[in-house]
Amino acid sequence: MSDQPAAPAAHRAGSDVPFYVVMGGLGGSYVVLIVLLLAADLAFTSPGHFAAALAKPEIQYAIRLTLVSCTISALLSIWVATPLGYLLSRFQFRGRWLIDTIIDIPIVLPPLVIGLSLLILFHLPVAGTNLETFLQEHVSIGRRPFRVTYAQPAVVLAQFAVACAFAVQTMRVTFDQIDPRAEQVALTLGCRRSQAFLQVALPQAWRGMIAATTVAWARSLGEFGPILVFAGATRMKTEVLSTTVFLELSVGQLEAAVAVSLLMVIAAMTVLGIVRLLGARAAT
Amino acid sequence: MPQLTPVRPQRRRGNISRPVVAIVASLAMLAILVVLLFQGPPQPGTTPATTNNTKEGQEPLVVYCAASNKSVLEAIRAEYEKAYGTPLQMQFGASQTLLASLTVSKSGDLYLPADDSYLAMAKEKQLVADEFPLATMQAVVAVPKGNPKKIEKLADLLRDDVRLAQANPDAAAIGKLTRQTLTKSGQWDQLHARTTVYKTTVNEVANDVKVGAVDAGIVYDAVLHDYQTLEAVAIPELAAAKANVAVAVLTTSKRPRQSLHLARYLSAKDKGLVKYREFGFQPAAGDAWNEQPEITLYAGSMLRPAIEKTITEFEQREGVRVTRVYNGCGILVAQMKAGEVPDAYFACDSEFMKQVQPLFRNPLNVSQNELVILVHKGNPLGIASLKDLAKPNIRVGIGHEKQCAMGWLTQRTFDETGFKSELMKNVVVQTPTGDMLVNQMRSGSLDAAVAYISNAAGAGDALDAIRIQGIPCSVATQPFAVAKDSAHQQLVQRLLAAIRAESSHRRFTSEGFQWLAEGPPAHE
Repeated sequence: MSDQPAAPAAHRAGSDVPFYVVMGGLGGSYVVLIVLLLAADLAFTSPGHFAAALAKPEIQYAIRLTLVSCTISALLSIWVATPLGYLLSRFQFRGRWLIDTIIDIPIVLPPLVIGLSLLILFHLPVAGTNLETFLQEHVSIGRRPFRVTYAQPAVVLAQFAVACAFAVQTMRVTFDQIDPRAEQVALTLGCRRSQAFLQVALPQAWRGMIAATTVAWARSLGEFGPILVFAGATRMKTEVLSTTVFLELSVGQLEAAVAVSLLMVIAAMTVLGIVRLLGARAAT
Repeated sequence: MPQLTPVRPQRRRGNISRPVVAIVASLAMLAILVVLLFQGPPQPGTTPATTNNTKEGQEPLVVYCAASNKSVLEAIRAEYEKAYGTPLQMQFGASQTLLASLTVSKSGDLYLPADDSYLAMAKEKQLVADEFPLATMQAVVAVPKGNPKKIEKLADLLRDDVRLAQANPDAAAIGKLTRQTLTKSGQWDQLHARTTVYKTTVNEVANDVKVGAVDAGIVYDAVLHDYQTLEAVAIPELAAAKANVAVAVLTTSKRPRQSLHLARYLSAKDKGLVKYREFGFQPAAGDAWNEQPEITLYAGSMLRPAIEKTITEFEQREGVRVTRVYNGCGILVAQMKAGEVPDAYFACDSEFMKQVQPLFRNPLNVSQNELVILVHKGNPLGIASLKDLAKPNIRVGIGHEKQCAMGWLTQRTFDETGFKSELMKNVVVQTPTGDMLVNQMRSGSLDAAVAYISNAAGAGDALDAIRIQGIPCSVATQPFAVAKDSAHQQLVQRLLAAIRAESSHRRFTSEGFQWLAEGPPAHE
């Protein structure tokens, strides 16, 4: 008699635990892996290596350049990715598939190839000159000619070339998930396209934009192949933290490489934390 | 419907503000960051420690340097910048990545790859102007300190309890070298079968040993200088596996003189090579450092028109001084026998090299020259062969037998004719150089002279040359040799390379010489 009502309750209580165990176990295993990796890194290095790395002016410069270049490329990415993601999501036009495919190229191509391609692009002889020479001859910053290759702009460009593709993907999915009806209603109420975009679509896409910026920033931070080829790894000039890790590794300074890697982790967690916090506050 | 109208403007204003604020804010942020981006260090390519010593506004020399040479180069660079104020901009990376970069960008001053196999590739691409040997590296087995697995010979690497890492023979030079050496001795296949992992660079192999992922790895001994927890085991089977490190001055360098100065500094046995030894390399036999080195070259007078310009260019490009002593080769030989030995000797004929051969390294034949009969333009006396020179009342000039190769050769040629005594009756003057004969011909004091065809090259307007037929020894060969005791072996080798270059070849040819120094300049 009491079987009937009790059974479902007992059944329900019994089935939830395995659910949490399985879900938590599967998901948690990845978190545990990352934590273990960090723990291993920490065990391999020492506070001394950490302090030594931080004290070097080259590393300090690399930290600054990393933060500045990553942020520039993330901001540029979101400036490009928002309109591009919106257009691809909202409009059907001829050749859209082609643009879709082109945007995927930086994601599927090995990063080194991007760097090499940038290098070739800037040095391809066209009409007796090339892009790099042309820029140096016609553009100047202060009194110095504007250099791209092997200079700071190359770092940003190399990061942007890859990071932007990820931002575009994120923005596209963001706009895909926003119901276009609200914009259509705004249009029928007399809004122009620009107003519908700025006042209706964009506020809803806020979280996506934060996500896209974050992805682009993180991607730029980890970028290394194209920077090495296109910007070089010149100390106090184009050396960013990811290339520092490579340079330290290539001379067998594993402890220093790990210390710098952990610095990158700290920098990334701080910046991404701030961005998420700002995003969450702005979204409410 | 009408009641919506008062509400809309308010909501719109609220909605506009956020995107607009975000847009303006992000633009402002971009602007600030771009300014920050260009606010680099005060001087590009210099560390703060050396900024004060580098000259204001001087363009840095760009050095493409293999990551494996980073530590030693950073040490040398600090000293160099301090001493000379020329800022250096180092591009570190993997040798092949750097090669790809400089091939595409066609810029940069020096290239210092991990070993000279990459220089060979750079040479194929016409990127190398000069090459300076720096050090050699020996292939060894890297093991943890104390050698816990007791690895002493190749057979130990084949044991089941030893995990071995190697560098990929197709990607890394050390791998290629190991494969070559062991294939020759027939041991490669065994080792290949027992190799646990192949990595792409020699440092990755050492890193694997360091973290304990493998028990042993085949690496260059110099690499282990940076690994305090590892030690090198020299196994006899790999004794022959050695690689050279060399730095190249690139053809793309816009400031070859400064680049060569740096390259000479790097390869000087009392400058850069000291550091190379400190960092675990076996340094090459470099020249002693000298701000502006001076070398002495003895050369036969006949060679002067062919080499003078090349040497002047060499001096300007290298920033060095070459003291030339041109004279008849017999006189030069006498000077050398008296104890005055130059850094290099460019003889007018092999015969004169043989006499002082013990003082010099293996000579290299550069050019050939031919004896001819010089007559006045239009050949008014109708001279067609040596026989005609024996006719009465012809004033003949020849080179001095003892003082120059040309004179010596003339005598040998006369011997072959069978009428030497008749010929010698007409000889009114014997000069130590062919140039003097040409001058005397021009002044009209001679009717004919026996000299090199190259002597007549500059006097084509006044003189004609008549070939001497059927006497093979009328041809002289000019060898170049470096003195064994020269303190500037590398520099003299580069001078030889300059003399063997294409531009020099053209000068020799236009002066009437035949070219013998084909092929790429050898360095050893």
